[in-house]
Amino acid sequence: MEKTVKKTTREGLILALITFFGVMFIIVIIALINAPTMGGSRVMASITTYLEEVKATGIPFIIVIAVLAAILGVILAREIYKVWPNQKKRKEFLTGYAFLAPYLIVTLLFTVGVIFFAFYISFTNYNIFTRPTWAGLSNYAEAFAGFTDSTKRDFLQALYNVFWYSLIVVPIQTFLAILMANLLNQPVKFKRFFRTIFYAPSVTSSVVITLIFVWLYLKGGYINFFLQTFLGWFSIDFQGINWLGDPRGLIQLVVEAFGGEIPSTQWYLRGPSIAWMAIMFQNIFTTVPTYMIMFLAALQDLNPALYESASIEGASKSQMFWKITLPLLRPIILLVTVLGTIGTLQVFDQVYLATGGGPLKTSLTPVFLVYQEALGVTGPINMGYASALAFILALIIFMLTFVQRRVLTEGTEQY
Amino acid sequence: MKANALKKTTTSGKQKQTGYKTKNAIKTTLHYILLIIIGFVMFLPFIMAFLGTVKTDQEIMAFPPKFFPEVWHWKNWSRVWNTDLGQGGTFPRWLFNTAFLAVTVAVAQAIFGSMAAYAFARLKFAGRDLVFNFMLATMMIPGAVTLIPAYVLMTKLQLINSYWSLILPGIVGAGSIFMLTQFFKSIPNELEEAAVIDGATHTQIFRMVILPLSRPIILTVLILQFQGMWNAFLTPLLYLNSPDKYVLNVALSIFQQQYKTQWNLTLVGAMFNAIPVLIIFFIFSRYYLEGVAYTGIKG
Repeated sequence: MEKTVKKTTREGLILALITFFGVMFIIVIIALINAPTMGGSRVMASITTYLEEVKATGIPFIIVIAVLAAILGVILAREIYKVWPNQKKRKEFLTGYAFLAPYLIVTLLFTVGVIFFAFYISFTNYNIFTRPTWAGLSNYAEAFAGFTDSTKRDFLQALYNVFWYSLIVVPIQTFLAILMANLLNQPVKFKRFFRTIFYAPSVTSSVVITLIFVWLYLKGGYINFFLQTFLGWFSIDFQGINWLGDPRGLIQLVVEAFGGEIPSTQWYLRGPSIAWMAIMFQNIFTTVPTYMIMFLAALQDLNPALYESASIEGASKSQMFWKITLPLLRPIILLVTVLGTIGTLQVFDQVYLATGGGPLKTSLTPVFLVYQEALGVTGPINMGYASALAFILALIIFMLTFVQRRVLTEGTEQY
Repeated sequence: MKANALKKTTTSGKQKQTGYKTKNAIKTTLHYILLIIIGFVMFLPFIMAFLGTVKTDQEIMAFPPKFFPEVWHWKNWSRVWNTDLGQGGTFPRWLFNTAFLAVTVAVAQAIFGSMAAYAFARLKFAGRDLVFNFMLATMMIPGAVTLIPAYVLMTKLQLINSYWSLILPGIVGAGSIFMLTQFFKSIPNELEEAAVIDGATHTQIFRMVILPLSRPIILTVLILQFQGMWNAFLTPLLYLNSPDKYVLNVALSIFQQQYKTQWNLTLVGAMFNAIPVLIIFFIFSRYYLEGVAYTGIKG
């Protein structure tokens, strides 16, 4: 008896050591692959040339990751040592991690590893083909340089644009989604047919929808034609608008209608441009159906008894909607708002295809800017700066979703 | 209902009820009209684009535009099908690339996703909840952050212009693992216990008990991932940049520059891209909608 116990503890110890070194090995390999070094075919020609580069620029990075890996390795080794004597627990432990292995390895390499890398290079000047050189906080400072130097306002303007975008798109799409879900949640025939038709724009790729809309928005396109015909019925003369090329802002238009003027130096007062609002409209068109389905599923889960008792009490339909449906939908409203905000702050496809950031940068977005800087579309490749922009955007998204959570969950306890 | 029954007993009530009925009929009609209008608006761009594909080069640029073409020029479709950008960049090739990547990623996500989900939902081991919460946290990370470093990583691994650059990061997805986990948790324990008594290993339970019971949710994952990869744009744009490796979306973005005012041809490309997913959607719409609803409620 004593012998077997001793044997299992010894086995456990060996296995703990294997676990520790295994974890260290995998993570250090991942760190090596993700180490901040220069790339290019000469460096990547063989493992030795690559390791030389790692030695030159990646040592601090590897050390930090190795320390984290060691901590993780010790924790896991301790766990495996603890569960080893118990055969059932041991089995579940090993099977569990074996089943998770593909997920863990891919995520560690392509998500966690690359984020560490991106964080590191956001403090350097880096363009893949030369060694990263330490730049401190200058990339982050550069992002906000537009406050003092208006020629460097690209990022600020991109943020300004997406704020307007979220501010307009998220409430409208949420409202329309609730409305459409409610229409479908009535006892109507062909419900499935309508549901399928409504959902079609969300299935198709954003590239397809964007291209179709670019075509519809042409100066000689259907949108202008419809507006001309429609306004013609009220004998209003409508000149066709070059929708995706019109930089005039919403506030600017209102001010100009009253005879005022906003100079181009005060671009931040002009509001979203016509081109930008045209993209918003198209975006709403594609996202509303997805959120509609979410609301519909939530509506179908609501307890019908609530409505029965309300109708006995003599509540009207609209009262039921405002006092029962809407409060109960609050968690889904929160989810849709958060998802909508995350999505709208990261618009890319539409901008890339429809406007390329123009006109006058009124449809520039942070992700588009990250793409441009990273690939050197408009100037030199600037990976460090692009990463810094991405982290600033991520921070803004985290903060906004956090605030939304606080605001929208407030007061839900009473239901 | 009760109120109606009470009203029926009085004569004046009867009149009221007929009024109520016509009011109801008007309401229902209005309801249907509204539904039809919305359905029409949602589908109109597709119809207009489709009709655009069979117009001549002159018709498509004419103003005011005519809804229907004089003659249906199906030739446009074969013109696009026979596009050749050189270096092996042909339309059938792009269609193949897109379908191949979408199927591979969907199947891989279903396999590796259900494995991970089994571990999360049915096994008890130290660190499980920690890893699960870690996975939920990674779902919050905006794609913009990993975009640049993942691109650098791909250049370093020399996977640029290789299908692997899209397959490798795509074989697992937090979203599908989460969906599968929620489903596996809802399968009653008794089935598994019976298998354990019979001496089944975890791998056997996973294959013989859990997987057969999870067909609907696996189909949902397959369809959603297929659609996701089919519609992906930014990553294929970054990673696959020789004409023989393009996916349809990337090729389409080039069409627009190539064909310029020949919108009829660009629209054919768009239709080629949209029709397969639309067909799959119409066949499997139930699974689609369940999947979307599932992420909505349970997320």
